[in-house]
Amino acid sequence: MRMLKVLLVDDEIMIREGFKHLFDWDSHGCEVVGEAADGMEALGQIDALLPDIVIMDINIPIMNGLKVIEVSRIKHPEIAYVIVSGYDDFEYCRQALRLQITDYILKPVNYEEFGSCIDNLKISMYENKANAQADSENREERIISSITRYMQEHLSEEISLSVLADEFHLNPQYISQLFKTEIGVGFLAYLTNIRIEKAKKLLLSTALSVTEISSLAGYSDYRVFTKVFKKTEGVTPSKFRREFLDRDKL
Amino acid sequence: MMRMEIALILVLVFVAFMYFGADRRNTPLHKTFSALLIITPLHLAFDAATVYTVNHLETVPPFLNEILHRLFIGTMVIVVYLFYRYISILVEEETKKPVRFHLAARIYLILAELETLLLPVHYAVTEKGNYSDGIHVSVCYISTAFYLFLCLWLLLKNRKQMDRKKKAAIGVALVIEGIVSVLQAINPTWLISGMGITLMTLAFYLTLENPDILRAELTEQKMSMLYLKSQVNPHFLYNTLDTIRIQAQLNGDKTTADSLMRLSDFFRLSIKTDKQMTALENETELSDAYMELMCCRYPELEYSCDIDPDLGDASVPNFILQPIIENSLLHGLKNKGYRGNITVTAERSNHKQDCIEIEVSDTGSGFGEGVKRRIDEMLLNYDKEKPKTESIGILNVQKRIKLLCGKEFGLSYTENTGGGVTAHIRLPLVREEYK
Repeated sequence: MRMLKVLLVDDEIMIREGFKHLFDWDSHGCEVVGEAADGMEALGQIDALLPDIVIMDINIPIMNGLKVIEVSRIKHPEIAYVIVSGYDDFEYCRQALRLQITDYILKPVNYEEFGSCIDNLKISMYENKANAQADSENREERIISSITRYMQEHLSEEISLSVLADEFHLNPQYISQLFKTEIGVGFLAYLTNIRIEKAKKLLLSTALSVTEISSLAGYSDYRVFTKVFKKTEGVTPSKFRREFLDRDKL
Repeated sequence: MMRMEIALILVLVFVAFMYFGADRRNTPLHKTFSALLIITPLHLAFDAATVYTVNHLETVPPFLNEILHRLFIGTMVIVVYLFYRYISILVEEETKKPVRFHLAARIYLILAELETLLLPVHYAVTEKGNYSDGIHVSVCYISTAFYLFLCLWLLLKNRKQMDRKKKAAIGVALVIEGIVSVLQAINPTWLISGMGITLMTLAFYLTLENPDILRAELTEQKMSMLYLKSQVNPHFLYNTLDTIRIQAQLNGDKTTADSLMRLSDFFRLSIKTDKQMTALENETELSDAYMELMCCRYPELEYSCDIDPDLGDASVPNFILQPIIENSLLHGLKNKGYRGNITVTAERSNHKQDCIEIEVSDTGSGFGEGVKRRIDEMLLNYDKEKPKTESIGILNVQKRIKLLCGKEFGLSYTENTGGGVTAHIRLPLVREEYK
């Protein structure tokens, strides 16, 4: 897996420094290739550096972050954006959704938890790619796609590397390695991601209780589920459901 | 004729009673009106007395008649001056500019009072009745005219900058006093000056000084204080805190960085408490943030919060949980050197309808001698209690639950068998609307 290029956009140098030094980009397969302090500079840097991921503050001088994304989307539709904002405000969330932001996190940024945000980006990049090319010539790609399909179908059951190893007659270490090389995230991070994604889908499309959804998504203890959900989504499951339904009505 | 004066005094005394019984802001305007309400009945009393004496010149000793008369005219000039003061302060408040006539008005007041004191009093005796005339009584006509014209001038000059209601109040008062004065001048035996003054006072009382308006003013002042307090831009606060946090972490101080993170979490959540009702999980989130900070300060403190996730979206009064937890900390665990734990649980129960029972249990020092009874009584008679500083938090919670959810719900305390107390909050189970 090649290193992903990251561009940091924030008008405050301390925030950029924090991102640069306090998050372990290397171990997440990323490198910071540039910085920008205002909207115009950001546009220029995006054109010049062609980053894979842009970490974007909304409230920046000259042109706001959402506008920058809107403009650069046209030229570079493949770039993933992470909106980082101090504005705890739905208006921004709504606009961000319209722009198909890949992720949205609120300040203050917890650097330990920021990793799961990058993992999610990688997983959605992998899934986009997998959907685009249905049959791969590459053996590794074929294996990983059948493993991930199996995982999707058996989400409510217990899934571990050894279960997968038995199912596919492969070495657990090899499977673990495949996740790292093909998707760029660890097996557990991937599992958590698809479990939470499944839970999100159920929260929005069904009226099932949080406890029921928790077990359908593979969590036998709702406390664990709520904790993990809160960590990755920033809100509890029921708040997530409420806020999304709010937004749809508007 | 004295009957009218007595009726007017009674009306004014009633007005004064209402006015002084109401809470009001301590402004120059209200102080002037208070002075008016004291001087005017006094003036009316002298008025009534002179109405009697002037028509019984033969029986009343001349010096008594003269003193009463001088007092009557003297207080009348003061009353008219106070009206001028009142109107000029109103105009100043509206235009935010000083009125320039103050010195002239005061000098005139002193001159007029001297004249009242020194000029000779003369009475006209007619068939219709007696009245005072001549140079002495002209002082009062001239004073009234002088101050009325000053007021009229202020009103006309600043009419564009003034609020319609205040303009109307001043206008009506001036017109009444003008008409009454002219009628009195034409028919000296009518003796109706007291009526003009009473009506003028009533005009201001009814439009600008009645208790409802005073209360509204007070609330508005409180609100604007709150508003000013909240004017510290919260984004500035979070952003600065965040910058300091990152700085600390860049310097390798992870502990400080974590504490700052918790502090900004707490700030962000507590600033959102502007709605009356909120989701239960917002309440627990705020309490979590609060307790994380407290546990940071007192490492031997333990906290756990376990609520059914399906109750997360239950609608509860805003800001009820944190005050209860704070109360447990300050009155229970503080006495044990902040050693022990606080447990928050929430579950559904089913008495008559779907309810939520929230419990905040601590392992603190428990209730002291007689405290339990006092707290029970206070929570039972929540609507009659005067808040005392030590219990204002829980009393406030009780009041809001009763108000927002109904009288059958609320807060109560029990003693734990192993020491410490448990607060029980019973609320109706209503889901937050997906609005």
